[in-house]
Amino acid sequence: MTPLTWLTPLRRAWIPIAVAALISYPLVSDDIYYQNMLIMTFLLAIGASGWNIMGGYAGYLSLGNSAFIGLGAYTTGILAANEHISPFLGCLVGGLTCAVGAALLSLVTRRTRGMYFVVVTFAALQLLGVVATIWSSLTGGSQGLAMPLPTWSLSYQDWPFYYSLLGLLVVTVAVSAWVRRGKLGLGLFAIQDNEDKAAGLGLRTDLYKMIAFVLSGTFLGIAGGIYAYYVTFLNTAAVFDIITSVLIVLAVLLGGRGTLWGPVLGAFIIAPVSNLTSTGFGGADAGAFRLLLFGGLLGVVAIFLPRGVLPVLQSWWRRLGRGSGRTPALAGPDRSRTAGSVSAVGGDSVDGRDPSPALVVRGLRKSFGGLRAVDGVDLDLGRGQITGLIGPNGSGKTTLFNIIDGTVPTRNGTITLGGRRLERAGRPVRAHAGLARTYQLPRLFANLTVVENLVVPERRFAFGRLWTKRVNSAERERGLGVLDDLGLVAYADSSPTDLSYGQRKLVELAQVLWLDPILVMLDEPAAGISPALSERLAELIRSLRERGVAILLVEHDLAFIAGLCEQVYVMANGAIIANGPVAEISADRTVIDAYLGDSVVPVRSGGQA
Amino acid sequence: MIDLGQALIFGVLIGGVYALMATGLSLTFGVMKIVNMAQGAFLITSTYLCFALWQHFGLDPVLAAFLVMLPMAALGLVVYKLVVERLERIDPGLTIVATFALALVAEAFLALIWGPDQRETNPVYSNQAIHLGPLVIPLAQFYAWLLAIVITVALQVAIKRTWLGHAITAASENPEGARLVGVEPARVGAWIFAIATASTAFGGAALSFLYQFTPDTQDFWLGLTLSVVIVGGLGSVPGAFAAGVMLGVTESLTTTYLSVRWATAVPTLLVLVVLTVRPQGLFTRMTRQDVGS
Repeated sequence: MTPLTWLTPLRRAWIPIAVAALISYPLVSDDIYYQNMLIMTFLLAIGASGWNIMGGYAGYLSLGNSAFIGLGAYTTGILAANEHISPFLGCLVGGLTCAVGAALLSLVTRRTRGMYFVVVTFAALQLLGVVATIWSSLTGGSQGLAMPLPTWSLSYQDWPFYYSLLGLLVVTVAVSAWVRRGKLGLGLFAIQDNEDKAAGLGLRTDLYKMIAFVLSGTFLGIAGGIYAYYVTFLNTAAVFDIITSVLIVLAVLLGGRGTLWGPVLGAFIIAPVSNLTSTGFGGADAGAFRLLLFGGLLGVVAIFLPRGVLPVLQSWWRRLGRGSGRTPALAGPDRSRTAGSVSAVGGDSVDGRDPSPALVVRGLRKSFGGLRAVDGVDLDLGRGQITGLIGPNGSGKTTLFNIIDGTVPTRNGTITLGGRRLERAGRPVRAHAGLARTYQLPRLFANLTVVENLVVPERRFAFGRLWTKRVNSAERERGLGVLDDLGLVAYADSSPTDLSYGQRKLVELAQVLWLDPILVMLDEPAAGISPALSERLAELIRSLRERGVAILLVEHDLAFIAGLCEQVYVMANGAIIANGPVAEISADRTVIDAYLGDSVVPVRSGGQA
Repeated sequence: MIDLGQALIFGVLIGGVYALMATGLSLTFGVMKIVNMAQGAFLITSTYLCFALWQHFGLDPVLAAFLVMLPMAALGLVVYKLVVERLERIDPGLTIVATFALALVAEAFLALIWGPDQRETNPVYSNQAIHLGPLVIPLAQFYAWLLAIVITVALQVAIKRTWLGHAITAASENPEGARLVGVEPARVGAWIFAIATASTAFGGAALSFLYQFTPDTQDFWLGLTLSVVIVGGLGSVPGAFAAGVMLGVTESLTTTYLSVRWATAVPTLLVLVVLTVRPQGLFTRMTRQDVGS
């Protein structure tokens, strides 16, 4: 998602004007109809902006966000009815309740992905509705719960509701902007692109998602409390209505998912329509017509306008030629300079590290059903050593990688990285300990720029850091240095989709080196890239060795292996069948039989690349 | 003791019916990894169609299901071609939103045609029962349960024995490989979706004589069928059956020993618990596809 750069001059002027207009509206007009319509618009805009943090930034859709309105409303209502606490204070407790509720739901979805989140939020909404109905001693059940009547003079109309919700909307949008521009937003967009990869780069994706969902719910919970006071009467069917969730999702999709202002824009379109229908449709079928209208609208938007109004306008604007200049004119994979120093990659030298071996693996085992994919593997990798891992397709090499980096859990065997036992650790912890890995097909985050891709990895989780700039000046400088070494500096602010396949492989390597790793595992780094790039890659790998980084390399290009590796492990049928120096291995009869077959002449080691 | 036995009988019978209602969803969600939020709406649409046939022609709901199957299959095909196929390519999240939108539209149409009143079909067996000593087996539940077994077994055999079944399995496990051997996953997808939608005719028929229904119960049934599929584990038809029985028994025990009102919270509570402790479902083995948890 690109920032709305073209809007900046407009935004500077129009946003304060719009806010000033909304502030002064009740002062100049006493039309209560429009005042009420705006109150409902603010409520929806708060809900939509909050939803967008989880749904637009992290890509986790929820159909249950009206549960937060209900939870906030009932908390406020119960506090007002039983403890006589002013709803304007009670709503803050309502927000807190929602924060806790959102955090708990995040725990439920901690181990699952994408589509389950919808189910969980939907189930939570249903559950809350049922519980609120059953627990009638507290909520009034289906009888409903009456709120205290407002105490202020009638001449102030609904000003307290109006201004508190407007203020809350401003705060919500400000927080959403802050998230978007910070490390938190960077991580959330990375999660949307590829959550597993993000976890492998050390991002505590579970915490990122939890914070995003808590922010999603908290402001809507506070708004729900104010809403409760405003409507003066709560009943479970109305407050936990799925239609409210639908309106929230509709507003975000219509305005533009993932953008800052899209949800607000969408709310300012949808809420007035909703207001019109609830006053305009009458009779027994009014509910059905509303359902038809909003269900239909939601479907139409999802099918025909999936990106939303704002991004579409934005791309039209670009096509007019005014907002261009993002994509560099450079093209072709090999405009890269000859390999310079790669000292900037990976930061400080690792000479001073403790001398424990980089990686020790003992007795690693994994079965899928009856198939033993990895069967009792032992590995020993010294620091500053390049180790090859070869074997026929399906021999378990990638599975072994997946077990070492934690993608595939196993109960059998130990993994010790730089003296730390990691076989039970989650993926971010392994990355923090110094494990880095690239993929056979590079996996860069398309939502982030190239330089953002470089700096997204995290060596440790720090709450305060989430709120700092996406790329601070030190990181940017270092990132540009790395890109300069790779000859890709012109692409720093473009999307990685603009890069060639080989360039993406280089960027992914630079990305994982940002972790300052002890061990780098490369899955077929030389496959499918040009000889020139392959040469640069070999050079890069050697320079890493000089700095004490251990490298484990899966590769089918035996010449590439022979030119780089001190030691080679050979895998067949999930087990290591041989290991030793390249010359020894390539003469080994069992290896030749298992791997190369009878008709292949072994490659002579040394001399190449 | 008699209470317990009776609760277990009710639970097992109702559980089978739950599994029947969820068969469509375990095909789309489980096999194709498509969350069809219109499952509840398809189900209740089938129910109303069976109701209409019963009301106007006195046709038994179970027999009516065999007729209702055809328009439902056509509906499934249309929805797949117009909505699912194109949205899955852009963003699977949008499929969820669009199918949910579809559910709302369907609910609205049902409400406009049949109104918001509670309806039910009552064929002769709807209030008969078999008595086994002190235990009662209501005939309606029993027939619905038999229907559930027949449909589940038929689907299972179809998946294991027919070319289409193999194609479905292949396309879901390895779309690229399937394409190489001439199985086009998109076309298979259309078939699965049509079969899944058609199968709601039977769940809907059972619903029509077991429960009173209104158009707005669709989201309750959606929640219930999602629970069955998730608790059972994706893609496993026997798993869905086991999960249905488990839900049914838990609900029935809750009704007997706690209160009938808490019983409605059982499916949602169970799904939250299962996703927390065993996200791959209770009745599946961890397979290689489940990496990344």
